[in-house]
Amino acid sequence: MNGGPAITVRGLHKYFGRLHVLRGIDLVVGRGEVLVLIGPSGSGKSTLLRCIDFLEEYDQGEIWLGRDLVGYRRNAAGRLVRDRDAAVSRVRARMGMVFQSFNLFPHKTVLENVIEGPVIVKGQKRDEAIPPAKALLDRVGLSDKLHAYPTQLSGGQQQRAAIARALAMQPEAMLFDEPTSSLDPELVGEVLEVMRGLAADGMTMIVATHEMGFAQEIADRVMMIDHGMIVESGRPEQIFGAPAQERTAEFLRRVRH
Amino acid sequence: MGYNWYFQIVWDYREVFFRGAEVTAELTIGALAISLSLGLALGLCRSSRVGFVRWPAALYVELFRSTPILVQLVWIYYALPILSGVQMGNVLSAAVGIGLHSAAYVAEIFRAGIKSIERGQMDAAKSIGMRYSAAMRRIILPQAVRRMIPPFINEFATLIKLTTLGSVLAVNELLHESENLINNTYRPLEVYTALAIVFAVIIFPFIYLSQRLERYWRVRG
Repeated sequence: MNGGPAITVRGLHKYFGRLHVLRGIDLVVGRGEVLVLIGPSGSGKSTLLRCIDFLEEYDQGEIWLGRDLVGYRRNAAGRLVRDRDAAVSRVRARMGMVFQSFNLFPHKTVLENVIEGPVIVKGQKRDEAIPPAKALLDRVGLSDKLHAYPTQLSGGQQQRAAIARALAMQPEAMLFDEPTSSLDPELVGEVLEVMRGLAADGMTMIVATHEMGFAQEIADRVMMIDHGMIVESGRPEQIFGAPAQERTAEFLRRVRH
Repeated sequence: MGYNWYFQIVWDYREVFFRGAEVTAELTIGALAISLSLGLALGLCRSSRVGFVRWPAALYVELFRSTPILVQLVWIYYALPILSGVQMGNVLSAAVGIGLHSAAYVAEIFRAGIKSIERGQMDAAKSIGMRYSAAMRRIILPQAVRRMIPPFINEFATLIKLTTLGSVLAVNELLHESENLINNTYRPLEVYTALAIVFAVIIFPFIYLSQRLERYWRVRG
């Protein structure tokens, strides 16, 4: 369980119809590592994360969570076939995903959002699930919003609740899909603060973000993606200080104005 | 102008309306049960990504929406027994016919309601490890049903009024009882007016309830 990488992606290709959005992605994320994905909008960062959580089916290549193939299994003939819904769900449950648009369940309170996974997926009793859920909400600074509905929260609060919901499943890794992109600027900090805490606790994370300062600070490794391919990857000080590729340098110039 | 209204007759024969209302209620409940359960199943099938699940449901919906319900009722009562040997009584035939017809519309309400829920909700449910069926049941449908309440109440009101077509199969529901009464009293205007009022009294509370629910759910997201 502890040996080997947390997430492995090999030769990943993804098409939307005729559009070739991921063109051969290879990456390995070690346990406790924080990988930050940067690159222009439409470069494939989001699609990559969605493939890893199998919210998108991929067309070619392999994705591994620990030692388990994500979304597919090998049949008797050794060919990869789409895995059963139950098996796919089991693998998904081991990863947490945080979305740009939060996607909290609007008909449930904050606390109900957080215990939904433990109760429905893990089969815990409501009473068992509530104390750890409260502890998580306390950790993300929402202990006074347990019984609020998502519409009654600010964007930053909603995103922190969404992070707590993902953490409630005690995931092996967390995937962040531009978690602050739809937030008002003054609310970005509180979400980044929570993520900083997670990284410090040794959570394995893949983060797609446009927050370059945050990327530089939190990342163990930064990966520049463009047109569905990895342009380069390296330590943050190298990527931000002395990018090897002109494409990266140009992108960084543009986002830093 | 020169007509002398005589509404006393309605009161004198009130038993007829009560009796008719009882049968109308039976028809409504029976048809509603069929309409809801079949409609939900069809709506889910029409929302499926799998073609051979989706198209039979689509065929059903289009077939029942594009043919007159009167023909459907007559067909179920008179033609079905010839073809299948299954003879249902007139009340059951009417309930089944109206239910099958209404199911096509309820299916469309379910489908539109499910479709109206943002994709991110299914993504989020899946991302915490929920299976498709659990996500539908716990996350998508509860939200979709709230959005479906207004069109559904609409369909419900239509369904209650459609029960009057039971009269074609000689079901003693409100309209049929009223027509019998008219034949005895020669007072069509009073009796039809009273009939309209009876339907309004039955249907209005549901419309009112739906408006209250809508307002209540607007607050709770």
